[in-house]
Amino acid sequence: MDKPAESRWISLLRHAVLLLFAIISIYPVITVMSISLRPGNQLQSTDLSIIPENWSFASYSQLIYEEPFLRWLGNSLLVATLVTFTGVVMASFGGYALSRFKFVGRQTTMLAILTTQMFPATMLLLPLYILIAKLHLVNTFLGLMIFYVSTALPFCIWQMKGFYDTIPISLEEAARIDGCSQMSAFTLVILPLAVPGLVITALFSFMTAWSEYIVAAQVLQESDLFTLPLGIKNFQASMSTQWGLYAAASILVSLPVVVVFLVLSKYLVSGMTLGAVKE
Amino acid sequence: MANASSIFGRRSKSSCFQYLLLAVLCVQSGCQQQEDDRQVVTLWHQMVPRGRVVLDRLIAKFEAENPEYHIRALYKETEELRSGFQAAALAGVGPELIYGPSDVLGAYHTMGIVQDMNAWAPSLNPEDFTEGALTFLPSHDDSGQRVLLQIPDRFGNHLALVYNRNFISSPPTTTDELIALGIQNTLDEDQDGRFERYGLVWNFVEPFFAIPFLTGHGAWVFDDSGEPVPALDAPECAAAYDFILSLRDKHGIVPRNCDYETADSLFKSGKAAMIINGDWSWADYLETKGIDAAVAPLPVVSATGKPMAPMVSPKGYSLNAFATPESAAVAMKFVLFMTSEGAQRELMHELKILPSRKSLHMDPFLTSDPTLLASKQQLANGRMMPVDTELRAVWDAMRPHYQSLLGGNASAQEAAAAMQRDSIRSIELMNRKSTGDSAAWIWQLLGILICGTLVVWQRKSLANFIPDIRRQPFAYLLVAPALATIFLTIAFPFFYNVMLSLSDMSLTNFQDWKIIGLANYLEVFSENKFFTILLKTLIWTVVNVFFHVAIGVMLAMAINGPIRGKTIYRILLIIPWAVPAYITALTWRSMFHFDYGAVNLLASSWPISLLTTSSWFVALLGSPPYNWLGDPNLMFTACIVANVWLGYPFMMVIALGGLQGIPQELYEAARIDGANRFQQFRNVTLPLLKPVLVPAVTLGAIWTFNNLNVVWLVSNGGEPADETHILVSFVYKAVFNLYRYGYGAALSMVIFVMLLVASLISLQRSRATENVYG
Repeated sequence: MDKPAESRWISLLRHAVLLLFAIISIYPVITVMSISLRPGNQLQSTDLSIIPENWSFASYSQLIYEEPFLRWLGNSLLVATLVTFTGVVMASFGGYALSRFKFVGRQTTMLAILTTQMFPATMLLLPLYILIAKLHLVNTFLGLMIFYVSTALPFCIWQMKGFYDTIPISLEEAARIDGCSQMSAFTLVILPLAVPGLVITALFSFMTAWSEYIVAAQVLQESDLFTLPLGIKNFQASMSTQWGLYAAASILVSLPVVVVFLVLSKYLVSGMTLGAVKE
Repeated sequence: MANASSIFGRRSKSSCFQYLLLAVLCVQSGCQQQEDDRQVVTLWHQMVPRGRVVLDRLIAKFEAENPEYHIRALYKETEELRSGFQAAALAGVGPELIYGPSDVLGAYHTMGIVQDMNAWAPSLNPEDFTEGALTFLPSHDDSGQRVLLQIPDRFGNHLALVYNRNFISSPPTTTDELIALGIQNTLDEDQDGRFERYGLVWNFVEPFFAIPFLTGHGAWVFDDSGEPVPALDAPECAAAYDFILSLRDKHGIVPRNCDYETADSLFKSGKAAMIINGDWSWADYLETKGIDAAVAPLPVVSATGKPMAPMVSPKGYSLNAFATPESAAVAMKFVLFMTSEGAQRELMHELKILPSRKSLHMDPFLTSDPTLLASKQQLANGRMMPVDTELRAVWDAMRPHYQSLLGGNASAQEAAAAMQRDSIRSIELMNRKSTGDSAAWIWQLLGILICGTLVVWQRKSLANFIPDIRRQPFAYLLVAPALATIFLTIAFPFFYNVMLSLSDMSLTNFQDWKIIGLANYLEVFSENKFFTILLKTLIWTVVNVFFHVAIGVMLAMAINGPIRGKTIYRILLIIPWAVPAYITALTWRSMFHFDYGAVNLLASSWPISLLTTSSWFVALLGSPPYNWLGDPNLMFTACIVANVWLGYPFMMVIALGGLQGIPQELYEAARIDGANRFQQFRNVTLPLLKPVLVPAVTLGAIWTFNNLNVVWLVSNGGEPADETHILVSFVYKAVFNLYRYGYGAALSMVIFVMLLVASLISLQRSRATENVYG
């Protein structure tokens, strides 16, 4: 299945586009990095130097040795992995049902799922507090997980449905004829083909749990249980933010995301379905 | 096939389950409360980092003396503490104690979420505290008694002048001297139009910082009646604003764009000779290397002979109205400990703030410390910050007009008159008692009727429901867990909001709200700004989503080919999504700064200047440098740029995933048919990307429509002049600045319905619920 070799111009064009956007992508983050190295807690700099004068890693070492950063990291990793796992399982099942079965209320269900995303989060603060109190979810990771999974699911289900939709039904039919049960036709034939979708679902669920702040601030009332975004918010105060720590923490927070993406993204670019569908 | 299934092979499956088991155990242990029979008291505070260190130390001391108690201190940012406490107190999960400035107490008291501390502190002698430090308000029950709502551990929170002794030997005592010193210290040695040093800086955009100018000119936010009646259009106010403008425009001693962070950075890096800032910041300046900071009282206004008087207020502890008697007793014990002489002395030493107890004002440490002495001098001519709820409406009305005055879009008189008009309107909105009082049963009946109609309308589907479950239980089984989770968390908040939107919940009816009907909805549509903001929101959504998708798909296509360095590109391009938006949004804001921002510097540098100075570009945006943060249209553009940046990696990932699902055979076939690259893209790539992109685009549009954070952070809450708003940030302001919960809920419902209709239409058109192959 060799592709014909691309002309040099096309390849050059690819590099040009990617390079330009790579620079645009990292420049603001380099500024954040520069804040984290800057002594004296300043958000703004009056010059454009990337490495500030008198730079130091003081913020990073303070973060790791003096602040409970590693504890927050652990909490966040735990919550985010569990949410990712639950989200992927639920969305891969739910999306499959919506893609393949014409059951009563299917359209309504899809729309209802979508509507949950339409309400501005601002107004949810008050009822969420009441709900969290009534369900006794204060200070539990379980409480966080329920909210995160339900926040991530609508997108994930729709996304998975979209992926299943691109997989021809003939594949399952063939598997059923070969003697597969409904469940194993799904897990053995369809699921492997939907890996790119699963990766996106996983990444999205992970990010939802990883960066969420508002619900966490309501559920967690004990600093030992803080997740990273809550911990980082500790450094922010109106008119007296600790910019060095804030920036350093933000940089460190994004590293696991990059790692997760790096691991998962090989399934996004490997051309998995090559040759799977010969109709 | 074999290749593909090995990814989900049996080996990895079993390890997955082991992992899950392990994780569940971890969660269990996370849920378990510490085996601890100490009585816990929770405190939400908003102390600055330095203060938290002392707080922790004092808590440790208290717990050592009282081993049966545990104080759980949680930091919350000022606004978040306020909005969070209101909601949490009402839900019954609030902290026993809150710590903060006194200006919110009027509102808390009206809402009934703080309680009288008198009964819990019989030993407290008001005579021991500085005049005005303890906050008393009239009780609700017409008995004429005054309830004690806050016991402070400090008194001040006031502005003063901080100057750099490297540049200024003795601080100015009059504004004429201030201007003279300012002119001496405003330098542009290389004549490039960018100043190396400014005479004076301060948080130019915030009205709180304009108060000393007002008082120095003989004005005040309220009139002399003793009632909280705004007096913002007095001629003295206009004189004060003219004076502020003259510092920038006539004398040129302050920078053009100067918010809190800019002022702070300029002073800390020795690029400003003087700064006006509050007592929370001084200790930091005294320790900053490279400058030699000292504090002095603000000068006397030369034209009037009156001193510039900042607002002063106590900061302290208040008791949640819903705290149980047992926990309230412990909480108060802690409060008395924290406001005792010993504790306050420690705070004064570490933080350079003034104590609230009289006895400590004679303390040798205070009388020998130059900073504290200057602070005390400044405090002596300060003016008490009112605790009336109306002050919030005053700030809210002042901010936009003050900013448009600074932007040169209004004269001092016009701005002052507009402030007065808006503050009166805001106060009226905030304190409005509900008028409509239609009985709740009408609405219950209506609700039942609507449900009934739906049932009758959908009776066929409902009748088929049970047989259908029997027919294909597998489908229902797959979808049920997800649906249950989603609706568990969303159903209650949703219906609660429907109720609120029909109710009169507001500052004055916070706990005893009742259903009043459609009044809030009428108000939503009669708001002048509604349609302008809606239009802005639509532009915001369309432009953002367009660029997200266009850039995302383009990058995905570029990276999805035979190309070197894929991994590196992939990592770099994902970065805007990976780094938390709450910091990158602020970074973008500073990149748009007039003098120091990268965007303006880039725009005027070669080769980009070739583009930006071309005639059509100038016609579109004007010529560089651009006043991004000061001009409403440019500010809005800046918000969009920042949000496009934040959003394209996500779409790129989605598109990348979608591209994997497209069989190569289709491209081969297209090539054989003689299709060129563009035709391949149009006829193969796009149609097959569609099912994957549709959910992302639909949801992306919804999220963008409701994206509060980016607009709020980049525009610093709607600057300039409160013009940079989309609907959600407008809701946020209405609810949290003016306590209009009912109105906010109604506006949210309107947003909800608009999005619902729009999604219905677009889904109908894209047929996204249908299968592409089917």
